[in-house]
Amino acid sequence: MSSQPGFFLPSNASRARVKEAEGARRNRLEIVKALSHGAVSRRDLFKWGLVTGAGLLAPIHGLNPFVKSAYADSNIPTGAPRSPGTAGLDFTQPMLRLEVLPRKPVSSLTPAPTALSNQTLQTVDPALGGGFGPIEGRPPGPDWAHQRFDLFPPQVAIEATQEGAKTNPNGNIPFKFHSNLPAQGPLAMWTFNGTVPPKLVLGKYGQPLLFRHHNKLPADVSQNGGFGRNTISTHEHNGHHGAENDGFTGAFFFPGQFYDYHWPIILAGHDTINPQGTDIMAGSPHDNDDGYDKVPGDWHETMSTHWFHDHMFSFTAQNVYKGNAAMYNIYSALDRGNEEINDGVNLRLPSGTALSWHNLDYDVNLMLADKAWDQDGQLYFDIFNLDGFLGDAMTVNACYYPFFEVEARKYRFRILNGSVSRFFKIALSDGSPMIQIGNDGNLLPHPVVLTQLDEQGIAERYDIVIDFSRYTPGQKVWMVNLCEHEDGKGPKDELSLSQALSGKSSDPCVGKFLEFRIIPSPRPDYSQVPATLIPNPDLSNIPVVRERTFEFGRSGGGSDSAPWTIKTDGGGGLAADFSRVTAAPKAGSREVWTLKNGGGGWDHPIHIHFEEGQILARNGSFNNVPAWERGRKDVYRLKPGGSVTITMQFREFYGMFVEHCHNTQHEDHAMLLRWELDRGLVPLPTPNPTPQGVEFIDTKALKDAF
Amino acid sequence: MRRDISALLAAAAPLVLMYAGPAGAATWGANYFPNVPLITQDGKTVRFYDDLLKGKRVVIDFIYTKCGDSCPLETARLGQVHRLLGDRMGRDIFFYSISIDPVRDTPAELKAYAESYRAGPGWLFLTGKKADIEAIRKKLGQAARAGENELTDHSTSFTIGNEATGQWMRDSSTDDPHYLAAIIGDWMGDWKNRVPGQSYADKPDLPASAADRGANLFRTRCAACHSIGEGDGVGPDLAGVTKLRKRDWLAAFIALPNEMLAKQDPIASALFEQFRQVRMPNLRLGDVDVNALLRYLEAQDAAGGGGKDGRRVSQ
Repeated sequence: MSSQPGFFLPSNASRARVKEAEGARRNRLEIVKALSHGAVSRRDLFKWGLVTGAGLLAPIHGLNPFVKSAYADSNIPTGAPRSPGTAGLDFTQPMLRLEVLPRKPVSSLTPAPTALSNQTLQTVDPALGGGFGPIEGRPPGPDWAHQRFDLFPPQVAIEATQEGAKTNPNGNIPFKFHSNLPAQGPLAMWTFNGTVPPKLVLGKYGQPLLFRHHNKLPADVSQNGGFGRNTISTHEHNGHHGAENDGFTGAFFFPGQFYDYHWPIILAGHDTINPQGTDIMAGSPHDNDDGYDKVPGDWHETMSTHWFHDHMFSFTAQNVYKGNAAMYNIYSALDRGNEEINDGVNLRLPSGTALSWHNLDYDVNLMLADKAWDQDGQLYFDIFNLDGFLGDAMTVNACYYPFFEVEARKYRFRILNGSVSRFFKIALSDGSPMIQIGNDGNLLPHPVVLTQLDEQGIAERYDIVIDFSRYTPGQKVWMVNLCEHEDGKGPKDELSLSQALSGKSSDPCVGKFLEFRIIPSPRPDYSQVPATLIPNPDLSNIPVVRERTFEFGRSGGGSDSAPWTIKTDGGGGLAADFSRVTAAPKAGSREVWTLKNGGGGWDHPIHIHFEEGQILARNGSFNNVPAWERGRKDVYRLKPGGSVTITMQFREFYGMFVEHCHNTQHEDHAMLLRWELDRGLVPLPTPNPTPQGVEFIDTKALKDAF
Repeated sequence: MRRDISALLAAAAPLVLMYAGPAGAATWGANYFPNVPLITQDGKTVRFYDDLLKGKRVVIDFIYTKCGDSCPLETARLGQVHRLLGDRMGRDIFFYSISIDPVRDTPAELKAYAESYRAGPGWLFLTGKKADIEAIRKKLGQAARAGENELTDHSTSFTIGNEATGQWMRDSSTDDPHYLAAIIGDWMGDWKNRVPGQSYADKPDLPASAADRGANLFRTRCAACHSIGEGDGVGPDLAGVTKLRKRDWLAAFIALPNEMLAKQDPIASALFEQFRQVRMPNLRLGDVDVNALLRYLEAQDAAGGGGKDGRRVSQ
């Protein structure tokens, strides 16, 4: 197993070279094992020239997988053999659509959800220390009660487990990246309900959700297939709700427990803008007719595409990679998922017509993630690669290089970068245009036509429309990744389309990854892409009460620096300690934050929880902000040496949130800080969960946080 | 003379176990960690995997005794955590501070260093062959990168792991010792036989002083070595220090203690000798932070003392 950056053999490596690398890895393991068992001595190895005087395995061809091959076909060193068994599998299986989690009545939940954490005791598995512990993992007491639970009582319940991979009883779908690849074992992958396809939650404004997440992972923490942590915290990225429902990194829960996440789905500005719910632009679509109910809040804050994923402190990368990630579409009168209703408010984006809202016929979620697996076909991850882990196989909705049949009409794709450390840059193989309509959770003020999307950092969502009516049935076109990595620090290069298609990149995830097969369209296409989508909220009359600067990257500027730290307002570089509050904006206020890349050629996609920001400047100037970043965002790619200045408002809810690098390997290595939406001068105590109940650690706070 | 690989593998074959698949924590065990020899501060040779990791819960950091930057803070912080973990140290939790300057850091040097920091049981200070230590750093993801100085650019984080369960994580050496003790003692453990902590339901309100920049700096950067009014620790008790020393001297010493010592400032030199040659680290504090600390220390002196972790006296 490699501790080096996740270099892989090129996709077109000769069979001999692949075999050689596999052999080298095996030989290396066996020699190490033989040594540790005393079967051979270091002296023997030294005598045979297999070990250097320094005690390292010698850089000998056929022994050390890190060594360039005598007949290598590229200059890229190889850290691990390519994930095996994929020859001839590209574009031979249909892409799975995400599986919609059932929307159930709240009365179906047992026990019924409560505002305060349900501290009813149950027996605790001996592997977790035994005794008794609460059935719900949410910290007890009023600090962690669902905020405004009476005002926004849940109307719909979604219930899911987190558990090991198994066959999906709905459709008898085995847990495989491809039907010709081995099934993932229950320790290799952990995900929602333990099944593929990955899951999708459907919600709408004005209809609060209660998401009950049951932790059914092994109680024995060592039963993890080599990576992953059985304690989890589920972050709804990027919901407008209380901190108790944000999936705070230190508010995790244990196997055998559940955690109730209350997602009220209200428009930001609920209390102050359109408080009576009279604005026709702010609405919640009816279930069974074309109408909608008006709701309070600022319709300019309407969001469309979220996702949710694990946020366990120090283990986020492993757990998300292992499968703890799902998507969440939010519907509104503006973006209701029906392309036919013509009421002057509905934007009529590609979706379908059968249902009053949330049609998914032509509105397709794409979860992109690079993966790797071992010689047994089981998911592989290097927990000691702190630069960022790269897989060598692309998956779309957990399918290995799939194809997808599309009618010759407009489609909407909500594309999520669900990788650990990989950036993407997407184009179509024929260079034809795509229309970007949204960036992260929010629709843009105006659509942008692009032949190549911008680089897409981890956790960013790009919402695009592709019009396949320009093709004839029988034709094929591919989505292509142009972004080349050679390690997990950040992209190495953006290739041209022809370079990416040439197959010459040393990065196996460059090139085609999704094949569209055009078929006839039997129905009319009612969908539109209006020239104006959702304009930004007007903040010009709201005074800025505070400006803050956060610098991500190497701290200190001198020697002895830890690479992953965040400097606040020119102070010393501090690494993650979620019991330390770094910023505490006042509720109702507006602030301007500048996020800087500390340098070193690294890139960091920075995610700020809870509030979307408008980008005021890149590198100090609004002119540097591209059209597709002129909406609202929740993840900001700093770019090497770059800075991003954003403005945000803080409203409606309180508590502890975090901002962090969403290269989850960087985040887990402490590039994370906590900020707190302040409700006075006293920050919340920090929870310290145990299986027998939540304790606390003192919260410290920087004076300048207030 | 090199022997054919196949012959070697034939020799090893009877002992080679089949890859057990992804079950359990076998992935990060004997197959992964180098079983290289290291030498303790007492001159004993130990194997990194067999003797130090196998079946154990550990904290590993990399230091060198000549370090004037963050190593002293790292070591003092581990000392605080060591005291919090109490009798679990050396029984089921072990600390390893491995020198990245092994030629100069002889066992005798490391022994003196350990004694300076009053290192307790279960805490080894290790030296060895440079290449062996490099192999360990590399496997833990802590190797210096291209273009970095392998001494001064070393990572200051703690690698925290439990070999038996295959769980590994990293934490900052500037973290709160109570928090580190919770992670090492609880998260990395099996939740058995733990002493219950403070109930969340009974939590106290936090004092306003929790928000003081100087207090926070004192707790995260100073309290590992210094108390105020509770006696000398690794470094001197700071009660009355703002009356004992001139403000300019204090500001200069807090900002650049290494340079003060290098130019043989008489007070700095005397303190160095008095406190077992422990180097006050250069914490890279800017003027704002130095002034915040001085204001905090002055407030303590005006109030006539303070708690060990700087909590007792609010401003």
